[in-house]
Amino acid sequence: MTHYELIASNKQKSWVIITLFMIFIVGAVYLMSVGLGYGLDLVGIALIVSGMMSFASYWWSDSIILSISGARPANREEFFDFYTVTENIANGQRLPMPKLYVIEDTAMNAFATGRDPQHAAVVATTGLLSRLDRAEIEGVVAHELSHVQNYDIRLMSIVTILVGMIALLSDWMLRISFRRGSRNNDREGGQLQVIFMIAGIALALLSPIIAQLIQLAISRKREFLADASAVGMTKNPEGLARALEAISQDKEPLEVANKATAHLYIANPLKNRHDAVGWFAGMFQTHPPVEERIAALKNLTGAV
Amino acid sequence: MSGFYFLLTILAAIAVYVMGVYNGLQRLKTQIVASIQEIGNQLKRQASLIPNLESAVKGYLKHEKGVFEMLTDARKAVAKADKSGSATDIDEAISKVQNLVPQIRVAVEDNPELKANETVTKFMSELTDTADKLTYARRSVIDLTQNYNEKLVTFPSNVIAGMFGFKPEKGLETAQAGSHLSVSEDEMKDVKVNL
Repeated sequence: MTHYELIASNKQKSWVIITLFMIFIVGAVYLMSVGLGYGLDLVGIALIVSGMMSFASYWWSDSIILSISGARPANREEFFDFYTVTENIANGQRLPMPKLYVIEDTAMNAFATGRDPQHAAVVATTGLLSRLDRAEIEGVVAHELSHVQNYDIRLMSIVTILVGMIALLSDWMLRISFRRGSRNNDREGGQLQVIFMIAGIALALLSPIIAQLIQLAISRKREFLADASAVGMTKNPEGLARALEAISQDKEPLEVANKATAHLYIANPLKNRHDAVGWFAGMFQTHPPVEERIAALKNLTGAV
Repeated sequence: MSGFYFLLTILAAIAVYVMGVYNGLQRLKTQIVASIQEIGNQLKRQASLIPNLESAVKGYLKHEKGVFEMLTDARKAVAKADKSGSATDIDEAISKVQNLVPQIRVAVEDNPELKANETVTKFMSELTDTADKLTYARRSVIDLTQNYNEKLVTFPSNVIAGMFGFKPEKGLETAQAGSHLSVSEDEMKDVKVNL
């Protein structure tokens, strides 16, 4: 697949995801309103709302994801290596300079988001920036910029918001229904609670299908490909290999990541979380094992 | 009548293709010029950074003669590259500066006073960055020139290039004969780079 075919396929998949999302929401509302005996007005509303949500996920994906992740802008003075290394690679690839953000967290991770290279953002945790040296940061940034260049960011961001939203909604509904159930036993909230619970369980049952959908959209090959293009940008496979090694040895999960955003990150941010979120994460696993990626990079060391 | 439209469509398609190739070549040409200018900018930046670093470490590193020799050496190499703009001179300037930074770092590590000096660390990271920027800009010029020259000799873009009189780009000036045309024994050894 050439670079241009890759970009075309990513743009096409983005539209497929949006269409599937709208069909899913409108279909679910249709079934509900037929089942509960409401009129079809609800379906119209669902169509409008899901359309607006799709537009938001396309247009504001970066701001939504950045605020979910609690990222703040990074400047040149404070994060000199991060900033200048990005500047260099963007110049070398003739890409516009992306906006840079950091997440205050000692866990090591990074991701990129946005709808196209002109509206891209690269995010790294402060833990990653402080523990990696310049060549290693260069490798990580190059990996993220190749996601930007390939329009992976558009597809991944839309998937995060639309598909992830359905997944998170089920968590949220189940939590609400159980919390309410344990606290007040009076009959007022009873009906609402049952509706939440049924919807939550239905969505939870759908979760594996949704997970499958994410995996279909975001094949694991993507990470290998981004690693390889990153080496093409820096001509230094060792930098990225060492960075990946350091990231894989870091045992700390990233607090702000959830199963909707996990696939965005350079390495699985939910490792070593033994609660429900961590258990779900295994199902949503979209990252190939880091060892395989390092081995692939080591193969390149001889070739470049 | 339909034959006429058929012909018209083909002509329009050809016109669009010619326009695309022409614009592509022009774009590459401006990008090559911009990258060469970027090299010039970074060399000038380096030329002004080195004396600053020199004066910042002067008081502390009196006995470290080697470091000062390297600083002077690097400054001369940068000035020479800036003047001649030749690929070999630029390469030499890049490698001189890249060797300089670790050397100073070693000297700084031994000197707690210097280690605490923010100006020195700042100048050093700026210097590393300009060396990186030079490497990237240099690589850009090479990639773009190769891309452009390839279009000039491959069919069918060569026909269009010939029509508008595009000339091959030299990219960075290199001496016609010299060490860069041959590979020495040393260069064939396995390279281990650690930054």
